[in-house]
Amino acid sequence: MRHRAALVAGSLALALVGQAPEAAGQGAAPAEWRTFEGTWSVSGKRSTVPIEGGATAAVVEVSGAVVLTSGEGLSRGFRGEVIGFDDGQGVSLGRTVWTDEHGDRLFSRLKGEPIETGRRIVGTITGGTGRYAGLEGDYSFTWKYVLSAEDGAIQGRAARLEGRVRRKGTTP
Amino acid sequence: MTLSSAAWKTLLARAAVFALALGIWFSPVPEGLVPEAWHLFALFVAAIVSVVIGAFPILTSSVLALAAAVLTGTLAPAKAYSGFANGTILLIVVAFLVARAVVKCGLGERLGHLVVSAFGRSTLGLGYSIFLVDGVIAPAFPSNTARSGVLYPLVLSVAEAAGAKPGDESRRRLGRFLMFSGMASLTVSSALWFTAMAANPLGAEIARGYGLEIGFGSWLVASSIPTLTAMALLPLVLYKVIGPEVTATPEAPRAARRALAELGPLRPHEKIVAATFAGMVGLWASASTLGVDSTAVAFLGLGVLLASGVLTLGDIAKEGDVLATFIWFAILFTLSGQLNELGFMGYLGERLAGALGGLSPAVAGVALVVAYVLLHYLFVSQTAHLLALFGVFLGVGVKLGVPVGVLAFLLLFATNFFSANTPQGSSANLLFAGSGYLSQGELYKLGALTTAFNLVLYLVVGIPWLVLVTR
Repeated sequence: MRHRAALVAGSLALALVGQAPEAAGQGAAPAEWRTFEGTWSVSGKRSTVPIEGGATAAVVEVSGAVVLTSGEGLSRGFRGEVIGFDDGQGVSLGRTVWTDEHGDRLFSRLKGEPIETGRRIVGTITGGTGRYAGLEGDYSFTWKYVLSAEDGAIQGRAARLEGRVRRKGTTP
Repeated sequence: MTLSSAAWKTLLARAAVFALALGIWFSPVPEGLVPEAWHLFALFVAAIVSVVIGAFPILTSSVLALAAAVLTGTLAPAKAYSGFANGTILLIVVAFLVARAVVKCGLGERLGHLVVSAFGRSTLGLGYSIFLVDGVIAPAFPSNTARSGVLYPLVLSVAEAAGAKPGDESRRRLGRFLMFSGMASLTVSSALWFTAMAANPLGAEIARGYGLEIGFGSWLVASSIPTLTAMALLPLVLYKVIGPEVTATPEAPRAARRALAELGPLRPHEKIVAATFAGMVGLWASASTLGVDSTAVAFLGLGVLLASGVLTLGDIAKEGDVLATFIWFAILFTLSGQLNELGFMGYLGERLAGALGGLSPAVAGVALVVAYVLLHYLFVSQTAHLLALFGVFLGVGVKLGVPVGVLAFLLLFATNFFSANTPQGSSANLLFAGSGYLSQGELYKLGALTTAFNLVLYLVVGIPWLVLVTR
């Protein structure tokens, strides 16, 4: 397992070293897409306010384990944190950060439907730090279940997290 | 100055605990976990192991772990202290004080004599009476913690009526048997009824995502055979293991009836406590229907008992054990909850469950249930355990071809029957664990035994039954 991790890290490092001179000179094309799959379990809280038409707007703050079951170029898991806003009328936005065991981060923007059972969310990877610096990509998942408690606590699990990631190209 | 062998043993145990904590802390953080989660795991494990091997009492190990978590920056102070404002934990504290009022006013003695007069021909009979009462009232109590608040005064009264005192070793075994019977009873009464534990309907909601509909009737059918078998055998197993010295008490029912006659009619304070307690029981039982908070009901009851003078500030001041229980449980509750929030529980569950790929459905199903039960050593709440791992384990099992109905019910029953594995395994344990009749070592030992017994029973009796009824 460690060998595989080292191999992945090594490959990434080589890729970075290999790209550097090219980037400095004439620019580089984006790398190949690498796909990944996994799950995302979250727990946290949802604060709501009532709005017109009997609906509610909500701010959601959740965190939990992102566990990747396949894919290369990323850690096998992250701590995933989300802060999101649902306007109660179908617009839902959020920002997420995935943090790995080295503290390296992968940032993304979420767009889609509210955090509810069966709803689909789409994420756009916007950048990162450390070994994830310069990455771009996207992913989507559907909430297998989201349970809410009376005190605003929520718990959910996305069982089919699928996405792709690549190193951005540089402009000449 | 030379140290005794006991002191050396304690010293070695403490050194081992610190070595364990430091060993985990400084070992490489597993891929996919953040350092804070790994470090908190080191502190949590060290706190639990220190109690198991007798290095520190549970209060000491908890406060040391909390201090280390905050001072090292592993947890933010606001998160670290959040357990002290948790409603369920406050409910336990107040239920302790209400139970004290039941005993103090003499109503407990009367209740105890009543139970002994009906079931008191043998100690084993008293054990069965606890399981019976709990099993009957359970479907009306969605909070097993609130139910423990009803059961505990009864068990305490029976123990005292039978002459069992925490300080007297020969009689203590009787009290120990009765107190642990109360704890063990809650593990199976909650599994018997869909509405006997708050996490049961939550689990049903998660199972619906996998195409399985669970309601009151289907739950009862599925749980009936394994749970009733457990209820029939568990008191006997505990009786054999604990071995109370007082076994046959053929004269006890007659003596209890005589004592009841001598007590005469209810005294004013007994009437107040009886009315208050009945009101609390009624409100707890209908809490979800009426939308009232169970903890607020307990506070209301305590307020009535204080205002009426049944309990005094002096009585409250004497309850130092309650404060100790409140502190250690709130801390462990928080540490475990934060492990979940930091992604540790989900990570561990996904990795463990994922490692079972390639096994046959039958082996994978059993392995998932066993792993699910063992992981409860890391949890301080049944509901938190279910929310963190039930969906993960069910999802993996279904993917591996394990029948969804069989696996879902086994995991849901496990969420109930594993609650006594440690004193902190469920808030419903705390009243019994803090009664003074059971040492921390005994609680862990008996808890492990009860959980192992339940696990084997639910696998052996439950699987064939579930295969039959979930077809």
